[in-house]
Amino acid sequence: MGRKPFKPFAFDSPFAFSLVNFATGQLPPTGIDKFITVHSCITIQKRCTLVKIIGLTDQEAEANLRGSGLGMSVTEARSIAKVLNRDPTLAELFCYDAMWSEHCSYKSSRATLREFLPTTGPNVVMGPVEDSGIVAIDDQWCVAISHESHNHPSQVLPNEGAATGIGGDVRDVNCMGATVVATADPLRFGDPYGPQANKVRWVAEGVVDGIWQYGNALGVPNIAGDIVFDESFDFNCLVNVVAIGIVKRNEIIRSRAPKGAGEKGYDVILVGKPTDASGLGGVTFASEALREEDEATNRGAVQIPDPFLKNVLFKANDDLFRLVREVGVEIGFKDLGGGGFTCATSEMGSAAGYGMELDLDLMHKAGDFPSEVLCIAETQERFLIISPRELREKILKIYNEDWDLPNVYEGARASVVGRMTSDGRFVVKHKGQMAVDVSIQHLTSGIRYQREEKPPVKSFSEPVAEEPREYNDVMMKILGSPNIASREHVYRYYDTEVMGNTVIRPGEADAGLIAPVRGEKFGVALAADSNPFYGRISPYWAGATAVAEVMRNIASVGATPSCLTDCLNFGNPEKPEAFWEFREAVKGLAEACKRIWLKGYADQPVPIVSGNVSFYNESPAGSVDPSPVVACVGIIKDYNKAVTMDLKGAGDKLFLIGPRYDELGGSEYYRTILGETGANVPIVRFDLEKKMIYAVIDAIDQGLVASCHDISNGGLAATVAEMALTRPAAFGLEIDLGKAADASMRTDKIMFSESSGFVIEAKPGSETRLAEVMKGCGLDLMEIGSVTGSRRIVMRRNGKNVVDLDLDLARKVWVEGLTEAMR
Amino acid sequence: MSTINLRVWLIIPDAEAATVKNTLIRRMGCGDILADVKKERLFSIDVDSGDPEVLAKAFAKELVNENKESHKVLIDTLSFEGAYVPVKVSLHIEDGEAISTRDRLRNRLGFKNVMSVKKATIWKLYLKGDDKERAAKEIAEGLLINPHKDSYEILSLAEDASLSR
Amino acid sequence: MKIAVMQFPGTNCEYECLVSAREVGMAGELFRWNRPAAEMSAFDGFIVPGGWSYADRIRAGAIASKEPVMDALREEAAKGKPIIGICNGFQILVESGLLPGTSGNGKVEMALAQNVMISNKKIVRRGYYVDWVTIRHDASPRRCSGSFDINKGELLQIPIAHGEGNLVTMEKGLIQKLNDEGQVVFRYCDSSGRTIPEFPVNVNGSTENIAGICNPEGNVLGMMPHPERAFFNWQLPPHDPRKHQMGAVGPGRKIFESMKRYIEARA
Repeated sequence: MGRKPFKPFAFDSPFAFSLVNFATGQLPPTGIDKFITVHSCITIQKRCTLVKIIGLTDQEAEANLRGSGLGMSVTEARSIAKVLNRDPTLAELFCYDAMWSEHCSYKSSRATLREFLPTTGPNVVMGPVEDSGIVAIDDQWCVAISHESHNHPSQVLPNEGAATGIGGDVRDVNCMGATVVATADPLRFGDPYGPQANKVRWVAEGVVDGIWQYGNALGVPNIAGDIVFDESFDFNCLVNVVAIGIVKRNEIIRSRAPKGAGEKGYDVILVGKPTDASGLGGVTFASEALREEDEATNRGAVQIPDPFLKNVLFKANDDLFRLVREVGVEIGFKDLGGGGFTCATSEMGSAAGYGMELDLDLMHKAGDFPSEVLCIAETQERFLIISPRELREKILKIYNEDWDLPNVYEGARASVVGRMTSDGRFVVKHKGQMAVDVSIQHLTSGIRYQREEKPPVKSFSEPVAEEPREYNDVMMKILGSPNIASREHVYRYYDTEVMGNTVIRPGEADAGLIAPVRGEKFGVALAADSNPFYGRISPYWAGATAVAEVMRNIASVGATPSCLTDCLNFGNPEKPEAFWEFREAVKGLAEACKRIWLKGYADQPVPIVSGNVSFYNESPAGSVDPSPVVACVGIIKDYNKAVTMDLKGAGDKLFLIGPRYDELGGSEYYRTILGETGANVPIVRFDLEKKMIYAVIDAIDQGLVASCHDISNGGLAATVAEMALTRPAAFGLEIDLGKAADASMRTDKIMFSESSGFVIEAKPGSETRLAEVMKGCGLDLMEIGSVTGSRRIVMRRNGKNVVDLDLDLARKVWVEGLTEAMR
Repeated sequence: MSTINLRVWLIIPDAEAATVKNTLIRRMGCGDILADVKKERLFSIDVDSGDPEVLAKAFAKELVNENKESHKVLIDTLSFEGAYVPVKVSLHIEDGEAISTRDRLRNRLGFKNVMSVKKATIWKLYLKGDDKERAAKEIAEGLLINPHKDSYEILSLAEDASLSR
Repeated sequence: MKIAVMQFPGTNCEYECLVSAREVGMAGELFRWNRPAAEMSAFDGFIVPGGWSYADRIRAGAIASKEPVMDALREEAAKGKPIIGICNGFQILVESGLLPGTSGNGKVEMALAQNVMISNKKIVRRGYYVDWVTIRHDASPRRCSGSFDINKGELLQIPIAHGEGNLVTMEKGLIQKLNDEGQVVFRYCDSSGRTIPEFPVNVNGSTENIAGICNPEGNVLGMMPHPERAFFNWQLPPHDPRKHQMGAVGPGRKIFESMKRYIEARA
């Protein structure tokens, strides 16, 4: 075996600094370089123990890899040894294993994402290249958004898993130089009344606790999200988290080494919690299917959250950003997430074409851990800075003195752990030995797999069922269903008010809205959506309807959809059926983005600026329903114009936008009342959808809308009921179902079809102008009823009452539905 | 009827104990009497039937987070071993979390033989000097409790020895 | 006039409190816990904002109350300067003995325990809770710094967000004394001002629906609801008519205006 000759370090190598105790923050008083020449340099001759791969049979190599706790394939290991021209060290294999994992390298998904998703647009400041995507609000302000999943960890340890999901996602936004201003949490749990009820409720309760305990303590309001229960999530919950931040366009900080960093030997500074072994293997863990017997061992892969330390770190980071602005230099800044230290350092270096030399002895840590652990452990609450040498003392002072990290969390601090080089090598030293010495580009470029796709053999049919004779009970069942019921039980845990920016809170409308900058009139709306039941029938339409619905959510408050993120949750991509589902969903997403244009820019898609792919959401019992979860950021020019969904006044008129079609496949009605899935999944009529969204935005902008709610789960009937049931629940309503569709449509289908649309409340006298706005967008306005002063929800057809519910009884059922399901 | 005592401690760094130690030494001048602070959670679960050893295992599965905690089961006794003074802090007002834990064990998990659950925090004070009792009292009253909701008990080592027999 | 908004590690409402203070015309700045405590005397008043100081370790407010900066705050309180503790700030003031302060010797006289929601005598929920509540001002105007300008019996809609706001005490006669001395500043009530003892009106199970108290001198106020989150009219819930009313302000503004008026009246 040929061993590559090792290049001695240059005289001003940071590795020589280990002669100084950087871990305690003790800096040599003056002239570091001079200091080093006195002590001469260290030449590392010894490489850490190598893992034998070269010359072994596949079986032997496999045994070696598994024996070392590595998940990578023999082929992958051989390709690494070939590039290195020697056997790799254990730490090197762990670094590659993390960097080439599905989570870090998107090895199965990248080609598909590139093929279909639109990621550019006139408002895109930064597409999906770094930790967050960024879009412009106006000439000055931008929104940064990140969308992540933390599904596997949350299934095993719900509280810590969900909390670190939020923790990681807000870091992604903060490291762009942005102030994190809101989060959203689309969640999917198993059937709370099914065979796994105990476990499902344990997971649901733990996840919700983890989210509120982290988010509230951090001090970022949770303003949107949704919860769906279904047995396909019995063994694999989905915890997706969206975070948004606000940043000025000229103050964005990049997650890559600045220009000149390599030539000038910039510092590499690690900030935050002392590195420990927690979360070791979290990345590889997120990329493998869960088996029940694995749970005990998998627990070691979960990270430990600390929102309190994060709160202090965010404030210290603000000081760092301020310092950088004052001095006028560029730095690189990145959070440590999946793949830990190795991922953050190597990606920052390779993005700028540089290398780096790092010394694990300089790292502050919680104990004596082997190199491979320190390289890839996913210890939470850490950031990495690449900065010019002259800023070193100022930066260390911000973290270690001003914000007193060592006294805020035992062992936390900022430490210089290495320096940038221009030779393209990723070099890590530990205890005087060479732990890693690889090409940084090779490490970070990852690998690609061309997965096979094949449509699954499934057939769906429409149920054959009589129309119900009595609709009051049907309505009550729908309103109390865990998937329709009020989310109040959960959002009363969420600090939706912190920061004082919140204009519209969860439960008040289809999207949350914040006014994040004092003195500015613009509001930023956030919503998230995906319907797994549609996904089961058609992943393509699940993707397309998710985009359409989330845009409707945004439009419902009067905001204009500005960008999207996608979090794609699927089964094992090595199975052709799962990979087909993934590709179909991506095609559906992309088609909807491209055909519902960015408002104001004909033919420009609404861009997808950030996203995440989560595969292997499956257990031996099966995979989750295809779940392309989509989040949307919307902008409203004046947040005072925004509307909510609660009925505003007796005598107001109710209008329907969006014709009813026979589209009840996957609907709440079919599943809850008939116990069937059906086949006719709602589709997106792209042109109609675009017109409806534009019309609603325009009507709200012109002040013609008193309240607005989009039609989705539960159809028209649930939509109007929710408008009456939402606080203050002061008014009843009467609608004529006959006006919503033609005579040939069955009443149950008019009520519960989940074809897209909106219900709008308007003050008497504004109909004409409202109709004009609709006509301008090529739509007909259907008046279907009015708001009443009586506390009843009444739906009629052909002069007969089909539904007549007491508002207070209905509200009780609707409010308690989720409390019961999570008890 | 048996009492299952579940002592649970963190195997990862205990940020709360570190903050308590830091506060006692840096802010409250206890450096002369205090060397270290560790912490445990204590569940005392009364059951009216069933094999307590078997039940203890099942309860531990629910109440102990193996990713970050370790535990020890003691049936009808409570003992501590080590060079520290254990100070037990619990609520004297109604303990909502303990009731929730009882309800979860009884209702969600079906352990109908669970009669009551009590929760406490055991602060393990590694004390210096001769009058350890007084030092423990000072620390408990100075920081570990708010007397309007918490009470504390210094579990003396001699007493534990008798309990453990 | 210059006020300090205190900042402990884990505080998370300092920025919006500062915005509110400045909006009513008080100059202000953040005061980080490890700044020299002597600099405190340069300020005319103090806000101890909400959040999770020291992650609520041991219990909310306990660790922050031991910070040296709190000794300085006690000295400033003794000078009669206004101090308003909101949510976690209230918890810190209770743990440091500044509130209710009837003993005169810094003794801790009460606790803010975990929320317990009781309806029909049954516990329906516990712990953290976020919602808009109505509070009734039960002190006389000019009795307390933070409600200096608020009439007795006036109702304010303000949000809460806390897990531990349930006021309990073992001190015999304390509640009576607070009532007698007009130290109970705010109580949770319904929209007509009735202090129904059960959830959702008594949102956290607090003794006698108490939501805020002041010290005997009236310069130190602690309250669980967050006035800085009800400062602007657009922060209000959608069904509040003030939300879209041009020129309307949020009810929380009165707390900050009161503080300013109190400082002016003292000068």
